[in-house]
Amino acid sequence: MELLRPSSLDELDGGVFVAGGTEVVPLLRDGILQTTSLVDLRAIVPRGVRDGRIGAGTTLAELESAQVPDALREACRLAASPQLRRMGTVGGNLLQSTRCWYWRLRYPCRLHGGDRCHAAEGEHREHAIFANDFCVSAHPSDVAAALLALDARLHTSRRNLPLAALYRLPDEADRRTTTLEPGEAILEIEVPPAEASVYLKAMDRRRWSFPQVGVAAARTGARTRIAFAGVAPIPWLLDGETVDAATPLPRTAWKVDVARALLRRALAELG
Amino acid sequence: MKLVVNGEEHVVEVPVETSLAEVLRDELGLTGTKVACNEGHCGACTVQVDGMPVLSCITLAHTVSGRVTTIEGLRDHPLVAAFVRADAVQCGFCTPGQVVSAAALVAASPEPTVDEIRHAMAGNICRCGTYPKIEEAILHWRD
Ligand SMILES: Cc1cc2nc3c(=O)[nH]c(=O)nc-3n(C[C@H](O)[C@H](O)[C@H](O)COP(=O)(O)OP(=O)(O)OC[C@H]3O[C@@H](n4cnc5c(N)ncnc54)[C@H](O)[C@@H]3O)c2cc1C
Ligand code: SF4
Ligand code: FES
Ligand code: FES
Repeated sequence: MELLRPSSLDELDGGVFVAGGTEVVPLLRDGILQTTSLVDLRAIVPRGVRDGRIGAGTTLAELESAQVPDALREACRLAASPQLRRMGTVGGNLLQSTRCWYWRLRYPCRLHGGDRCHAAEGEHREHAIFANDFCVSAHPSDVAAALLALDARLHTSRRNLPLAALYRLPDEADRRTTTLEPGEAILEIEVPPAEASVYLKAMDRRRWSFPQVGVAAARTGARTRIAFAGVAPIPWLLDGETVDAATPLPRTAWKVDVARALLRRALAELG
Repeated sequence: MKLVVNGEEHVVEVPVETSLAEVLRDELGLTGTKVACNEGHCGACTVQVDGMPVLSCITLAHTVSGRVTTIEGLRDHPLVAAFVRADAVQCGFCTPGQVVSAAALVAASPEPTVDEIRHAMAGNICRCGTYPKIEEAILHWRD
C-alpha cells in the first residue's frame, strides 16, 4: 500500500481518503476497506471555523470549544473520547460507517451486498426504529444529527448540497448510505445561525459511548428542525412526522420511549 | 521515515499500514506503550503528539509529523510518584496510557477540577476499576 499526500485538489485521483484515520485505519486492518493507495487529505481540506463555515478537516476537539451553535458544540463534546476527538475530523465523522456488529465482523449481510439482515434476525438491541425495512442499523454520528437539525450545507470538491442529500437509505439495487462519489472530497460545512439549539444524548454509560439515541433541535423564527442519531441507518430528520411513526424491532421498542423523552426535554430547553 | 520520540530522532523503514504503536514497540523497543483493543476503544496505547494525547494503535506512523512523547519520556514526571502514592495501579496495564493523558491535562490545567479530570480522562478505560485512585492521584499530583 502506498500513502499519497496531494497538495492540491487537481491531484485527487482515486484511492481511499484518510483524514484523522480513526475510522479508516481499523477498517483497513479488518479488511473491510481494501486499497492499494491511501490518500492523506490533510493538506487540501480546510481546517478551522470562519464566518459560519467549518473546514471539513476541523477536529471534533476544536469544535468542542469553537464559536458554533450550541447543538454542534455539545454533540462534539459528547462524542467518542478525548483522544478520538483530537484525531477525528468533522468530515470523517459524517462519513463514518455503521457500528452494527454483524457488519463490523464481516457477516455477509445486506449492507455488505448479501441477502440477509443478520441483525433483524438476531441481536439488535442497539439498532434502528425508523426506516428499518432493509437494513436495521442505527447511524452512530452525534455530529451529523446536530448538523442536520441546523440545516447545514456541504461544499465538496464537485458540488454544494444540503447535508440531508449526503445520505441515502440503502436498498436492493444500491447498498451505499451516502451519495458521495469516488474521488469527491468534502471541503467545508456551512452552518446557518440558529436562534437556539440543543443536543441531548442517551448513552449506556455517562461518558464515552456511542449514542443509544441522540436528539438535536434547532429553532429559527417559527421553525424548529429536529434530527436524531442512533435511530435509523442514516442520520434521521423528523420531517413532518412524530416519534409515533417509529417502526421498532422486537428489541428496540425501548428506544422509542427514550427518543420521545429526549425530544420532550430538548424542546423544553429550546424554550 | 523520520520520527522524533522523547526528543530523539529515529529513522525507520516500515510499510504504510504500520501503526505508531507498532513502530514504538517493535522498532524502537519502547514497550511502555501498551496495546489492548487495537481499535480505538480503550486508551491503553495513548501517547502524546505535540503534547496532545492520541491513540497510537490507530495512528499510521507515516502520518505523524509532530513530536511524540511516550511514557518512557515521562519517567520523571511527578504524576508517576502521585500514582504510586495513591495506589492508582492494580494490574497496571492501563497505567502508562493514564499517565500520558493525565500529563497533558495537568500541563494545560495545573489544578484540574474533578469534572475536568473526568472529562479529560474519559478515554482511558481501566478494567480493574482504579478510577477513584486515579482521580486522587491527579488531584494531588504536585504534593
Ligand atoms: C471507538 C470509537 C468511538 C466513537 N464514538 C463516537 C460517538 O460517540 N459519536 C460520534 O459521533 N462519533 C463517534 N466516533 C466516530 C469518530 O468521531 C469518527 O471516526 C471520526 O470523526 C472520523 O474522522 P476521521 O478524520 O478520523 O476520519 P477517517 O477515518 O480519516 O475517515 C472516515 C471516512 O471518511 C472519509 N473521509 C474523511 N475525510 C473526508 C473528506 N474531507 N472528504 C471525503 N471523504 C473523507 C474517509 O475516506 C473514510 O471513509 C467514534 C469512533 C471510534 C473509533
Ligand atoms: S443491520 Fe444492516 S449492517 Fe447490520 S446486519 Fe443488518 S444489513 Fe448488515
Ligand atoms: S489499544 Fe489503542 S485504544 Fe485500545
Ligand atoms: S489497573 Fe488494570 S486496567 Fe487499569
